[in-house]
Amino acid sequence: MSSRRPGAGPTLNFKAVLLGEGCVGKTSLVLRYMEDRFNTQHLSTLQASFVTKKVMLPDERRAQLNIWDTAGQERFHALGPIYYRGSDGALLVYDITDQDSFQKVKSWVRELKQMRGSEIALIIVGNKTDLEDQRAISYETALRYAQTVGAHYVETSAKENDGVNELFELLTRLMVEHHGSKQQNDTNALRLQNSISDDGVEADQDENGHTNAGVQRSCCGI
Amino acid sequence: MANRAPMLRIGQQDLKCRQGCGFYGNTQFDGLCSKCFRERNDKQRKRQKAGEDHETLKVNASSAGGTLERKSPQHSLSLGRANKTKKQPEKEETPAASSTMPRKKFTVPAVLQKTLKNKFPAIAPQPRVPSATESQFMLQLRQLRIPDDGKRKLKSEIQRLDHEIRKYMNNNSSKNVDELSDLVQNAYTRFADVVHNDARFEIATNEDRDIAIDFFEKVVMTQNHNLLFSPYFTTDEESDIKVQKRIRQLSWITTKHLDCSIDEVNAEARDLVYNAISELVGIDSYYSPQEKLLCTVRCCRHIFELLKRATGGPASADDFLPALIFVVLKANPVRLHSNLNFVNRFTNASRVMSGEGGYYFTNLCSAIAFIENLNGESLGISAEEFDAYMSGEQTYSTPWESALLACESLHLISENMKCMEQLQKRNSVISTGIKDFQRELIEFQREVTEKVDTVMAKAPLTLLPIKTPPFLISQARAHLAQDGVEAAAGHYQSNLLSLSPQTMTVKGKEQILEDSQLEVAHTLALKDTSVGSVGRLSPLHPNLPQPDQLFASPIFSYTPFDAVSLLEESSENDDVLMLGTEFHGGLTNINYDFDLSDQSGENSVADESKLNLDEFDPLVQERNTPAETTLLDTTADSLIDSDVPVSEVLLPSPLKPEVANYRGFSNFEIPSISCNTGDFSSLNQDVNDPVPLVQSNK
Repeated sequence: MSSRRPGAGPTLNFKAVLLGEGCVGKTSLVLRYMEDRFNTQHLSTLQASFVTKKVMLPDERRAQLNIWDTAGQERFHALGPIYYRGSDGALLVYDITDQDSFQKVKSWVRELKQMRGSEIALIIVGNKTDLEDQRAISYETALRYAQTVGAHYVETSAKENDGVNELFELLTRLMVEHHGSKQQNDTNALRLQNSISDDGVEADQDENGHTNAGVQRSCCGI
Repeated sequence: MANRAPMLRIGQQDLKCRQGCGFYGNTQFDGLCSKCFRERNDKQRKRQKAGEDHETLKVNASSAGGTLERKSPQHSLSLGRANKTKKQPEKEETPAASSTMPRKKFTVPAVLQKTLKNKFPAIAPQPRVPSATESQFMLQLRQLRIPDDGKRKLKSEIQRLDHEIRKYMNNNSSKNVDELSDLVQNAYTRFADVVHNDARFEIATNEDRDIAIDFFEKVVMTQNHNLLFSPYFTTDEESDIKVQKRIRQLSWITTKHLDCSIDEVNAEARDLVYNAISELVGIDSYYSPQEKLLCTVRCCRHIFELLKRATGGPASADDFLPALIFVVLKANPVRLHSNLNFVNRFTNASRVMSGEGGYYFTNLCSAIAFIENLNGESLGISAEEFDAYMSGEQTYSTPWESALLACESLHLISENMKCMEQLQKRNSVISTGIKDFQRELIEFQREVTEKVDTVMAKAPLTLLPIKTPPFLISQARAHLAQDGVEAAAGHYQSNLLSLSPQTMTVKGKEQILEDSQLEVAHTLALKDTSVGSVGRLSPLHPNLPQPDQLFASPIFSYTPFDAVSLLEESSENDDVLMLGTEFHGGLTNINYDFDLSDQSGENSVADESKLNLDEFDPLVQERNTPAETTLLDTTADSLIDSDVPVSEVLLPSPLKPEVANYRGFSNFEIPSISCNTGDFSSLNQDVNDPVPLVQSNK
């Protein structure tokens, strides 16, 4: 359970994983979002595989985005579940000039649907729109596919910084929504646990469990 | 696996006597000072319990594959034991104790001692004599910036969870580690709630609350490390050994197999890998999940540092995971599974789900999952090859291994091999460069020749018949009509007449000469082309009609010479005639033109040639030479020789008049054509002279 602090306004903790074949621009997307840079040669960060960003939500709440990059090589495909376990959102990135990478996204979607059901926010990202002339997957095809699996579809260009910020804003929004819809369940579950496990300090626990526990629960589940 | 010895992590606290008497302890005295040790031994004799535990130690040590045990874990174990004994002094020999606590032997007596001193410390935690770690915790607790009420609450929560864990472990019913994990996780959640919502923590800042939560986790986990770490009812230990074996089998894997950018030979890179490895190995030496995670983070930061140097930019997960796998393979950390499971089960769930530590920990988990499941395909080699390596049929030598072996020369070999590889690469680059260059050279040569050929083909070098403007002809006719009036003309005619018989005789011989000189002339012509000056002179050679050569030398050999016919047929001749003042140049020109063209030829060039001659004196000279030679002297050897006599003699040669008059079209003065006639006797002499020479040459 992530810790929430009602005193100074809750900070929501979100975890999103980046999935997709190698060389589709996962890292570039993150770098663009974090540092607004494309060329990786001049980055100040030591690494680009794990980033956190604090964002202010429209309703004045603070949230922390944890974005986890994953290795895209085929040989590491089987390790996916280890990464997306407990994540609130997944960005499925493919290269619009590469049909294979789109197929890979489909397989990721199937896997995620099977493992996580609907409790994870899915965004399919078509990257490299700057290579429009080499496009292999049309916008309509991708959009239609995304709709059939209940995912959102966004096209970006990390190189041209096109749609990157919008993408992460959408991701945050979706994760907040998911979070909100799950809060209730969490709270209930917690109350149940508390009442079971409490013995000596029951008064305290009850009091706490009933106050503003709702906002503080993360969606990671127990 | 030869692992780099992990760094020792022993603080001053650890060195002191565990009884807290202030003297330094000794490992041989189980961390006690000599006095306390003796005291303890006395009590030990009373309670004969150490023997059985000693056996357990032996068994466990051998099964762990010679695992390096650090000094510090003993503390925690003893601490946990201490707590346990405090609460349930009579339940010493639980099954958990016998199977999972290999180092019990030394700890028990100390614990007992404590127990004797403080019968029920859980109720009154402060007054009992704490162990080094415990007193440290006490100190930290005091330093926490939360209200005293909160501290008290924190302490009671710790004790409560402590109690719960112990109760669960001592429960005789079947145990499930997941239940235990849930129990701990629920306690965390509960405590987090307390911290955030309880009135007693109200004035604390968020940071302090988090610190309190961390402290809670750390204390409980450290105290119960021995119970929770690799519990006896799990298969963690077997997995540890299995993974260790597996990694040992996979020692042949190099960075190439994993496709990662670590340079195994580079000393600097190796140092960073060593750092990462020692951090990774060090994970086992910490008790609390937080510390283990921090250790993982440090390990991964070393790897990122390494990758940043190798790739020049911040490393992405694509680079990182293979590198981490490599490090895990080379480190072969002890009790890998136990550690991972311990963290997974008993740390605050949010910690492994988010945050840097969580990310790296997840990567570590996936690295181990990869190692456990890898096959030939995932390493980019065939299944047969993989099996051969795994069974040890195929021998291998990795740069990494060779560096670890003390054998300096073996390492040298792999370094040299790497060096040779690079040299070979460079060599091949150079040789391809050479080949390219050669090809380019040939191509260049071919191009140039082609260009020259095309240019030569383009410049047709054919001469168009000269069209003398009709008005000139008429003018000339008009002039000729005033026949006698122009003395010069008469002169010329007469000269011609007088000369002709002589000349003709010479001609026969001269023609032969001409042939022999033709080549010379040809080469000259080529030269001319290259200079671009009198280009059109040369091409005439092939067209030379024989009969013309008969008349080659002097214009005056045209017997039916008259200005008009000249103009009409080859105004070249006229031009030559008009060249006038420039004797030599004129002469050359004339010779050539005549020699090479038939009368129809050449005039088109007249003006140009004149100009060119003016400009390129040396050429003129050059051309002069053969021309003169052709005509007058068969010895083509020296320019001066042939030239000098001519100028010396100042022949009023038949050519001279022509040249003098040959003014070109612009100031065409027919009447002057024949005006500067030389006297022919001298010419005759001249003409005659060469003949014997020619004959002698022949």
